Order: sequence, then structure tokens, then C-alpha cells
Amino acid sequence: MNFAFTEEQEDLREAARAFLADHSSGEQVRHAMETEHGFDPDVWKRVGAELGFCGVTVPEKHGGIGLGSVELTGLMEVMGEHLLCAPFFSTVCLAGTALRIGGDEAQKQEHLPALAAGQKIATLAHSEAGRGFDPLDFGCTAEPDGADFRLRGTKRYVIDGGVAELLIVAARAPGSDGEAGVSLFLVSAGSEGVTRRPLASMDQTRRQAEIRFDDVRVPASARLGGEGQGADILCRTLDLAAVALAAEQVGGAQRCLDLSVAYAKEREQFGRPIGSFQAIKHKCADMMLRVESARSAAYYAACAAADDATELPRAASLAKVYCSEAYFACAGEAIQIHGGVGFTWEYDPHVHFKRAQGSSVLLGDPAYHRERIARELAL
Amino acid sequence: MDIIVCMKRVPDSAARIQIGGDGRSIDSAGLEHIISPYDEMALERALQIKEEQGGTVTVVCLGAAEAAKEIRQALAMGADQALHIKSDVGYRDPLTTARILADHLKGRTFDMLLFGKQSIDADNSAIGVMVATLLDLPAVSLVTKLDAADGKATVEREAEAGAEVIEVALPAVFTAQRGLAEPRYPSIKGIMQAKKKPIEEAQAPEEAALITLEALEPPPARTGGRIVGEGVEAVPELVRLLRSEAKVL
Repeated sequence: MNFAFTEEQEDLREAARAFLADHSSGEQVRHAMETEHGFDPDVWKRVGAELGFCGVTVPEKHGGIGLGSVELTGLMEVMGEHLLCAPFFSTVCLAGTALRIGGDEAQKQEHLPALAAGQKIATLAHSEAGRGFDPLDFGCTAEPDGADFRLRGTKRYVIDGGVAELLIVAARAPGSDGEAGVSLFLVSAGSEGVTRRPLASMDQTRRQAEIRFDDVRVPASARLGGEGQGADILCRTLDLAAVALAAEQVGGAQRCLDLSVAYAKEREQFGRPIGSFQAIKHKCADMMLRVESARSAAYYAACAAADDATELPRAASLAKVYCSEAYFACAGEAIQIHGGVGFTWEYDPHVHFKRAQGSSVLLGDPAYHRERIARELAL
Repeated sequence: MDIIVCMKRVPDSAARIQIGGDGRSIDSAGLEHIISPYDEMALERALQIKEEQGGTVTVVCLGAAEAAKEIRQALAMGADQALHIKSDVGYRDPLTTARILADHLKGRTFDMLLFGKQSIDADNSAIGVMVATLLDLPAVSLVTKLDAADGKATVEREAEAGAEVIEVALPAVFTAQRGLAEPRYPSIKGIMQAKKKPIEEAQAPEEAALITLEALEPPPARTGGRIVGEGVEAVPELVRLLRSEAKVL
């Protein structure tokens, strides 16, 4: 096991860092957050078309680069540092992953090249209001209607659901429960019967929407995988996405530490930098402990994802718990170290704080993932 | 169109420069390096011309073994191949540098040889035109626009109060000024392909220095500002101080 990035992987991260330093500064993030869809379409276009980030895990034959989870982890970490506002997580980590692992050749040929080029925004619609974090706890139905299916139900907290052109919708056979009867369907967001409503959320850097499906007709060819395979595809997709999200959280936590250390060296009180006071030193040291431990957890999970290891669910949950808590704690401490200005609009810690809170409950909060780990331990 | 671009590895423009213990070199500990920005602009234009017309782009770098990283970046941006002339000499006078480059470029076939107008560390603005002289090629400096077709190039260069438009037969040497092209970021595909591209290696000869760098000194520490007065009444005194003390007017 090698936790060091290769030369190419480091070059890739450096290229991402250089681009995002120029195009995702704190000021640019705040500007993007205020726009209708929450991101700058020009930046998104360049991320996809010019830099090729969207194709990182897409096989070469489908227009991508054909790299793996480790490279995606490296990219997500840098994106987290810079709070990138773009539909990358939804398109690449959620929809792209589901298509890649569950789609048949025709489905991949039809959609993956556009996703890899950043020409099409896609997302996964699986969670619903009033349900827990268990990915199979949903009620949206897919009722057979001749050779087609009819989707009925309402999805909530759909990431970038307001702008996605392609939706991958989790639905179940009427009357089914748990793993049984779960299917994933490719649905065009413009289909008749699809209604979208943006949701107000704490984290304005990542938009969410509610999507209603009123008798939306989809052909059987739109189903990912065969009958009865939907639950496996969905759970695996969410595990892989949780690993990517954990890496993004590590990047955010690292940035909170960097911002805090820089401020502690610059800000003077009683005639000396506040970083010389023991209370601030200890806060920064504690932040670093959290960041490094979170990074280890995320990288280990990335290795498990890349190796297709059976321990992926446990490693993903472990990383998601630790990285969520580390990011949230670091963002909170960053605000404390910055003092009064820390939660003002002009300073980045408050944006990280909201991103940390939003990401913490995305794909399952720490309590849910602890339950999963306990189940893995046969408790 | 076959184009050679000479590039230099320089300290990152955002880095805080410290003078080394010998007092004659920069302390490189923890110092980030980049491709000199004007060289990067030259490279970008070369890549654009290659994409428009076909041909090859070769980058040539005279520098330490560590410059392999910046060479790899140039290859990731789209250059086809590279020549790395290795040298551990920290400071070298412009003419010696130009001679080494010219010796390695002699005998190579190219339509255009591009440089940045200057490196951002030495700031000599000399190498491009010196190499052109040594190779007996025409040279146009401070180029802000460069197009080539039918064995000749049409270029625009900065002039005192406008632009000069010049036509020059190829092969020729050009030095890039800001505005020539906005460098691209390396794509993932480019980064992955870079490792498969050939990097020819050579060793720079040890030549007697024509100029010796005796010492480096940091700029004087900035002192605090001074309020010379308030309102329009303060303007004459401010102007006097700017003229007589700061000597910027």
C-alpha cells in the first residue's frame, strides 16, 4: 500500500490547484454563490472541456481519461480547498459513477462522453423527505406499463437537481421493500411529468432541489442494470461518492487550518501575533491532528475504492464520519481564531463552516455511518 | 510548422525570496518554481500555431535537474518533445547562456524559435536576440501578435506609442511580450501523455564566466508611510516630496 501520490497524480493536483487559485478564489466563490444556479458556467465549461476533470474516471473508450478513485480523490481534495462551486460532485461522483458501474454499453455510449466533456450535467435522485439516510429507504415507485415504466414520487435534496439535464432516479416496484424491487432509471429532466423546485439550503456553494415525478414514462432501456440489481448499483455508487466527498472535506479542513495559521501569524494583540498565545497554538495543533487523521482515513478509503476491496463500505463510512467531523470542527475553530471577522461575508471561514455543515449530512450524517460501521462489526 | 521554444525555470513570482548563506545566490529551500511567464506565453502561441497548422513544438530548457518538472509541465500543455540541457550553475552571464543554447540549436531544423522577452528572475532581456545573432537569424522582440504562413511571419511588436507590424522571412527568432497569448492549463490528458513524450538530455559545458555575480542584496525594508497634511493644501508639499525625496516625478 502506497499512500504517496505518483508524479503524474501530483502534477494533476498541481494543475487543478493552479486553475482553481485563479478561478475559485474566495471572492469568486461568493460571486458564484449569488448566481441563479450557484456556479459560473464558464468555469464549469473549462473544468470539463479544457482541463478534462469530468472525464477522470470515465474509461477512454467513452471519452474519458480512464483513471481511478485515487486520482478522483486527489482532485476532490483540491476542489474542497478552493470551495469550487460547480456541478462536479453530482455529475462525476454520483451520476457518472452510477452510469459507469451500472450502465450497459449503449447507455454508456449515449451519456458518458457528454458527461466526461462537461457538456451535460447529471445527478442522482435517491433521497426523499421524511426518510432516514438509508439509501434504500424511499418510496418512489416504478410501475410497469407495457414495455415501459411509470415513475411516481418526489425526491428531495437532489444535488444540482435544478440544473441537471440527466437524472438517475431510484425507484422501486410497487409494494416492494428494502433491497428488493429497487431500480435506477435514466430520466431526461425535460421529460413530461418532471417538476423541479430549488430548495433553500445552508450550503449555498452546493445547490439542492426537489424533483417530482408525476407518471413519468420511461422505457425499459432506461433502467441501469438488470432487474433486481438497482440496490447494489445504488449502494456502491453512494459508497464511492462518500469517499470522494470525504476527500473534498479533507481539502476544506486543510484550508481552514491554513487560513487560521496565516491569520494567527498576521493578527497582533497585546503587541504580538495571536499565534504566539498558547490557546491559539493548541487550537491550530488540534486542527492539524484532525486534518492529518482525516486525510489518512480518506486516502485509505480511496485505496479501498480503487482496489475494489470488499471493505469499501466500512472504509467509506469511516472516512465519511471522520472527515465530516474534522471539517466541521476545523471550520468552527477557524471562525474562533479569526474572531469577529470570521463569520463575516468577506472572510472564507464562514463559507467553509456552511459547506462543512452541508457536507456533513450529505450521503448520511456521522451517526448514520457509525451505525453502518457497527453493523459491519456484527453489532 | 516546426517551432522551438526556449524556456527557463524561475522562482515563483509569488514566492518570498531569501538570499542564501553565500550571499550570492537565492536560498532555494522550500522555494516553488514555475516556467518563466513570458516563456509560457511564447509556448502557448507555439502550441496554438501547431494546432492551427500542424507541425511540432519542441521545448528547450537550460537548467538544473529539477527543471524536469517544468519541462514535464510544458509537455503536458502540448509540446511534443523536449531538450533538457542540464547545468548546476546558478548564475550564468547572458552571452554564455546564449552560446550554450545556440550550440545545441545549431543543426536543428525549425521554422520559428521563440523566447519570452525576458526571464522574470534575471530580467536581462538578452538571450533571445543574442541566440538569433549567434545563429545568424532575423529576430523580432516584444512580439504581441504572431502569425505565420508561406515561409514568412507577420508580427506585431510594441512600439513607443503604438504597434509596429513587421513581416519577416522564416526561420526567425521572436521574443514574446505580454498579450501574445494566455497560457493554457495542462489538461489531465496532457499530464498523462507527458510522461510518454521524449526528453533528450544533454550536459551544459563548463565555460569560464564572462561576468561574475559578486553579491545579492535584498531591497531596503519598507518604512512606514508619512502623512504630509490633509486636503488640497497638502498637495504642493506632497508633490515636492515625490519629486525631491522619492524621485518618482
